[in-house]
Amino acid sequence: MDDFEQRLKRQPLRQVPADWRREILAAARSAQPPHPASRGPHRSLLSTLNHQLSTLLWPHPKAWGALAAIWILIFAVNFSMPDETPAMAQKASPPAPETVSELRQQRLLFAELVGSRDAGDADRSKTLGPLPRSERDAIMAA
Amino acid sequence: MRRGTEIDRLYDGHAQPLYAFLLNFTRDEADTRDLLQEIFVKLARDPGLLAGARDERAFLIRLAHNAAIDLIRRRSTRERTKEHFAAESLSPFAPAPAPDEQFFRDGLSEALAGLPADQRAVVHLKLWEELTFEQIAETLEISPNTAASRYRYGLDKLRERLRPLYEEIK
Repeated sequence: MDDFEQRLKRQPLRQVPADWRREILAAARSAQPPHPASRGPHRSLLSTLNHQLSTLLWPHPKAWGALAAIWILIFAVNFSMPDETPAMAQKASPPAPETVSELRQQRLLFAELVGSRDAGDADRSKTLGPLPRSERDAIMAA
Repeated sequence: MRRGTEIDRLYDGHAQPLYAFLLNFTRDEADTRDLLQEIFVKLARDPGLLAGARDERAFLIRLAHNAAIDLIRRRSTRERTKEHFAAESLSPFAPAPAPDEQFFRDGLSEALAGLPADQRAVVHLKLWEELTFEQIAETLEISPNTAASRYRYGLDKLRERLRPLYEEIK
């Protein structure tokens, strides 16, 4: 700082009038909200939470608010759309008796064609799965 | 009871610099009182207002600055001429015992009133609050370079206007 700045800096500022203190503080006290102790512990907890959140979100409250709104929208859209996967599974009806009997006849016919000794085995066994390699070879040879 | 003492503490700790800062903008005692009261009423109404502030003084000066700028905008619609404003203005400096010194303070008060509000704020905070450019930048939410350049521009104008008085007294 040069001499000129030092000179300016030394100029004393006007003092705040003493009688303002009482008047301004009286106005401020009358504007104070009710004391937290009179509201009970529940309200106190909420105000503490609010205070902590305000401190946390203070730098960019609008950005946090927008982010929260987007998440709420995503959840709302997600819950409003019906999930069809389980419903489709429930809707799938058991096979009709005609289909079952036709399938059974086809199996018997197949068993006769491959020369099975006991056609009932084909009916009883779980033929829906793949056959052992040896049996498949036999079928191909026939 | 404790909240009452908290607002008392804030007043005792910060009312004087806030008053001087506001008076440098308003140049009017009634307006300064209204703005000062507005700030403390706001603090009393919302005790958590200062909770997130890193620097209590800086936060309060920012409140005062915003309030003063709002007032200047409102006032500019009803008071168009600077001459009218200067004629009624109250100096932010204490009365001086010596006439020469009083003459210099009056000249300084007038020269400050002629500065744009943004330069006046920086000059006030640098010279009479003794803040660094970094602190001024944080308080007024500007960059330190902007604070420094506003200070230099403002000081150059003051120097230019006060040179005759300054040379005479020196």
